[in-house]
Amino acid sequence: MKAPLLRSKNTTPRMMLNVVIALIPIIVFSTYKNGYIPYKNGYITNMFYPLIFILISTLATFTFETIYQILFTKKSLKEIVCNSYAFMPGLFLGLILPINTPISILLVGCFASSIIAKMLFGGFGQNIFNPALVGRLIIISCYAMVITNASGYLNKYEVDTISSATPLSNASIKGTINYDDLVTPYGDLSDFFIGTIPGAIGETSALLCLIGLIYLAITKTIKVRIPLYYISTVFIMTFFIGNCELWYSIFAICSGGLMFGATFMATDPVTSPVTKEGQILYGLMLGLLTVIFRYLTPYPEGVLTSILTMNMLVFIVDKIGIKAKMDGKKIILPIMILLGLIILFTVVIHLKYNQVTEGNVDPNYSILNIEANGNEVKYTVTQKGYQSTIKGIITIKDGKVLDYEIKEQGDSFFSKVEERDYTKYLVDNQDKLDSIDTVSGATISSTAVLKMLVNTIDGYKNKNYLNFDGPKEEEKPADFEILETNGNIYKVKQKSFGGDMVLNITIIDNKVSNIELVSYNDTCVSESNKNEYYECPEYLENGYISSLIENNDIDTVSGATISSSALKNAIKNTLEAINEG
Amino acid sequence: MAGYKLPHHKHMSMNELKSFLNPKDIYLEQGDSKLLVGDYVYKYQTIGHKERFNVPIISSVSGTVVDIKDGYIKIKNDLLEKTEKEIINRDVSKIKKEEFLDIIEKAGIIGMGGAGFPTHMKYKTDKNIELLIVNAVECEPYITADYSIMNEKCNELLEGINNIIRINKINNAILAIKKTNVEVIKKFKEIIDKYPKIELRIVRDIYPMGWERTLIKEVTKKEYDILPIELGIVVNNISTIFAINNALKHDIPLVERIITITGENVKNPGNVMVKIGTSVNEILKFMGGIHDDSVLISGGPMMGVEINKTDYIKPQMNCILVLPKPKEENIINCLRCGKCVSACPANLAPVLIKECSNKEELIKLQVNKCISCGLCSYICPSRIDLRNIVNEKKEVIK
Repeated sequence: MKAPLLRSKNTTPRMMLNVVIALIPIIVFSTYKNGYIPYKNGYITNMFYPLIFILISTLATFTFETIYQILFTKKSLKEIVCNSYAFMPGLFLGLILPINTPISILLVGCFASSIIAKMLFGGFGQNIFNPALVGRLIIISCYAMVITNASGYLNKYEVDTISSATPLSNASIKGTINYDDLVTPYGDLSDFFIGTIPGAIGETSALLCLIGLIYLAITKTIKVRIPLYYISTVFIMTFFIGNCELWYSIFAICSGGLMFGATFMATDPVTSPVTKEGQILYGLMLGLLTVIFRYLTPYPEGVLTSILTMNMLVFIVDKIGIKAKMDGKKIILPIMILLGLIILFTVVIHLKYNQVTEGNVDPNYSILNIEANGNEVKYTVTQKGYQSTIKGIITIKDGKVLDYEIKEQGDSFFSKVEERDYTKYLVDNQDKLDSIDTVSGATISSTAVLKMLVNTIDGYKNKNYLNFDGPKEEEKPADFEILETNGNIYKVKQKSFGGDMVLNITIIDNKVSNIELVSYNDTCVSESNKNEYYECPEYLENGYISSLIENNDIDTVSGATISSSALKNAIKNTLEAINEG
Repeated sequence: MAGYKLPHHKHMSMNELKSFLNPKDIYLEQGDSKLLVGDYVYKYQTIGHKERFNVPIISSVSGTVVDIKDGYIKIKNDLLEKTEKEIINRDVSKIKKEEFLDIIEKAGIIGMGGAGFPTHMKYKTDKNIELLIVNAVECEPYITADYSIMNEKCNELLEGINNIIRINKINNAILAIKKTNVEVIKKFKEIIDKYPKIELRIVRDIYPMGWERTLIKEVTKKEYDILPIELGIVVNNISTIFAINNALKHDIPLVERIITITGENVKNPGNVMVKIGTSVNEILKFMGGIHDDSVLISGGPMMGVEINKTDYIKPQMNCILVLPKPKEENIINCLRCGKCVSACPANLAPVLIKECSNKEELIKLQVNKCISCGLCSYICPSRIDLRNIVNEKKEVIK
C-alpha cells in the first residue's frame, strides 16, 4: 500500500523554520541588551557584537559539519544543506554562552557541537546529547577561568553597574531567601521577566522565551509537555523551599536560563522522549534534577547539567513511556516515585536552607569596620579569646588574604602566639585553614585567631563588604560593675589585665575595712625573667592589700601594673558608686 | 484515545445527489458462477457466490453476458430492468430474527463503509446484543457518501434502525455523527423524537473516529479485545442500514449505492447513485471526466488503495478519489519528534517500531495492533512512510 496521499503541512523544514522564528526576538533582544546598552553607555564600540557572535557560531557549525559531510559521507551539497540543519547547534550555542567567550574558544565549542556531539553519533537525528549543550559544557569546563577572568556572564556595562555575579551564583553565595539579597541587586522581578539581568547572551529573557514557547506550541513544533512539566516542577519545588514566597518561585524560573533551556534545549526532538508519558516523566525529572543541582551542588547553573543527564536516560524513559501508553496503569508507579522524590528533596532542601539562613553566625565574632578600596577589602574585626577580646585587621584582595595583623589583645599566653608568628603562618596556609594546627600552651588564644580569620574569609565570600552599613562602635564591656550588695559588703567586678577581677569589698563609714579576692584571671611577669609567669594576686596579697586598706592609696606594683591599678580603681569606683547612691 | 484532526476537503462533493443508473455494461466478480457467454441475466438475480464468506453476487441490471475473463463477468445492460419476481411490500413488523438473518444474507449485504464484512455475521450471535451503534462518522477526508444518504433519506434511515433493533430485540441504538455535519444533525434532531430508543450522538472531529474501536471507546468508554460483540455491541455503517431496510421492506438486494466521486482532478465532483458493477471509466465520464496525470484511489486519501480506470464499482466502495499524481517527497532523517506516537489511534509508537528489528521487541511493541490508518505517515514531518514500514514489520512477526 502506498503512503497516504494526504500529508501534513507541518514538515521538518517548516518546524526548523518555526524554531528560528521563535529565536529571532531573542536574538534581537540579546543584541539590544548586550550590544546596544553597553554601546550607548560607552563601554563597547560595536553595538552588533552579540549578533556577530551568534552569526560566527552559526556559520562555524555549518562549515564544520559541511566539511565533515563532504569528507566522510557521499552526500550531495544540496542534501547536506537541505536535510541536515547543520547551522542549528551553532545558533543555539551562540545564545547560551557568556558574552565574554573569546571567539577562538567559541570555535572550539562549535567544533565540539557539530562534530563530536552530532556527526560522530551519526548526524542529524542520531545524536544522544544535545549538541549545543555539549559545546557549552566543553567550553565551561575547559575554559572557565578564561571566561571568568573576562568577567564571565556579565557584559561590560553590567560589570560596572551591577558588579556582581549572575543571579544564581549570587543566590548560591548569599544562601538566603531574601528579596533584598537576591532580586534587588538586579532591579526588581520585572527585570528578571523581561531579561535585563546578567546571564548567557540569549537566555535571560523569560518573557521572550514564553512567547517562543507559545508560538512553538501553537505551531505544534515542540513537545510542549516537557517545558510545561519542567517549569512547573521547578516552580512548585522552589515555592515550598522558599517558604511559600511567590516572588522566589518567579525568581527561580526566570533565572539561570531555565525558561530558555526548557523551551529550546529540553525539547530538542532528537534528544527527548517520543512518548507522551515519557515526556511527562522527562519534564518532572528535569525539574527535580535542576533543583537538586542548584541547591545541593556547588554549581548553581543546573539547567545544562540536568538536560545532559536526562539525555542519557531518554532511552529508559521511552521504555517506561511505551509500556504506560499500552497500559495506562503502568504510569502510576513511576509518577508516584517521582512525586515522592520531589517532595523528599523539597523538604530536605527547605530544611537545609532555613538552617543556613538562621544559624552559622559565630556569636564570639564581630566586624567593627570594613574598608573596601578597589579590589582590596580591609576588615577590622574582633574575636573573643581566652580572657580578652582580640582585635585584628585582615586585608583581602581578590579572594586572597594579603595581611593579618593583631591589633589588641589581653590574653595571658598570647606571646606564645606571637612568638610562633602564627598570623603569618595562617596567611601562608590560608587554603587549608580547616586542617591547621593550634599553638600549644595558647590553644584558646590561637584558636580565636584562627576563627577570626575563617569568619572573615566566610564573610568576604558572602560579599558582606558590599552591604556593610558603616563602622560600629566597639562595644566595650563595662570596666566596673557592682554585682551584689550584702550589708556593707559589696561584690564588685573590675576589668583587669587578664579579664574581670571579682572582689568583695567591705566599706564602713566610707572607708575600706576589708578586701577579699573572689576570682581573677591575671598573671604577672617576673621582673627577673620576662618569660616567667606567676599568679599575681598572691604577689599582690603580699602586704599590698593591707597597705591599700590602711593608706587608701599605694604605688602600683611593678610587674603587675595593670592588676594593681585595677584593684585601686575597684575601690575608688565602689566608693564613688556608694556616694552617688 | 489518540487521533488527529485532518483537513476535510469535503465541500467539493457536498452538492446535489446525482444518479447514474443506466450503465452500458456492468462487471461482476465471477466467484463460483456457472454462467456462460450469451446467457440472459435478470436484475436482482444471484449469479454466484464469492469465495470470501460466501457472499452472493447479484446482478444490478438485466442483460446478456458478453464476456467472461480474468474472474470477471461482463454483462451488457439491455436497459429493461427486467426482474424475475415482482417487487414486494413486506410487513416488516412480522419479521423474526432468523428470517432477518436470511433476508440480509441473501440480499448480499456487507459493510458499506469500506471493510466489506458480511452484515448477517455480525447479528448471528448467541450473545445478547445490547447496543447498535450506527456509524455515520465518515472520518476520512473527501468522502461524503454517508453525508449524502443522510441528507436525502433521514426518515428511512431512522425507520431502518428502528426495524433492526426491534427485530433483534436490541435495547437501544446510537447514531454517531461527526460534529462538523451540522445540517444533517439538524435534520435528524427534528425527527428523532419519534424514535425513543435511538439516540443521536455527536462525536469529535478526529480521524479515525470511524474506526470501530475508536468509535466504541468514544461512545461507551469501553474497550474490547477482538470483536465488539464481546461488549454486546454491533456497529453498522449508515449506508448499510439503508441497504438492510430496502432488503427487509422490498426484498431488494444490495445492487445500488451512493458513491462519492471527488478530488482535485475530477471536473464535476459530487455524490452519485450507481449500480454495483459500473465501470470506473464510465462513471468518471459521467462526472465530466478527469484531468491528466491523475491517480485514482478507491476509498479515502488515508486508507484508500490505488485503482485504475478499468476497475468497477464494488458494494463496499464508498469513494473514488482522483488526485494529482503526488510529487516525490524529500525524505529527511527521523528527528524523533514523537508526532507519530501521539497521533497513533492504536496506541503504538511507530518511530520505535521503525527502529526495531528484533522479533521479540516487535511483539512487545504490539506491532500487530496496527490498523494501517496511515496517520503516522500523514503526520511525519520528515515524510517517512511509517505505515509501510510498520506493515513490513508486521510481516516479521508473522
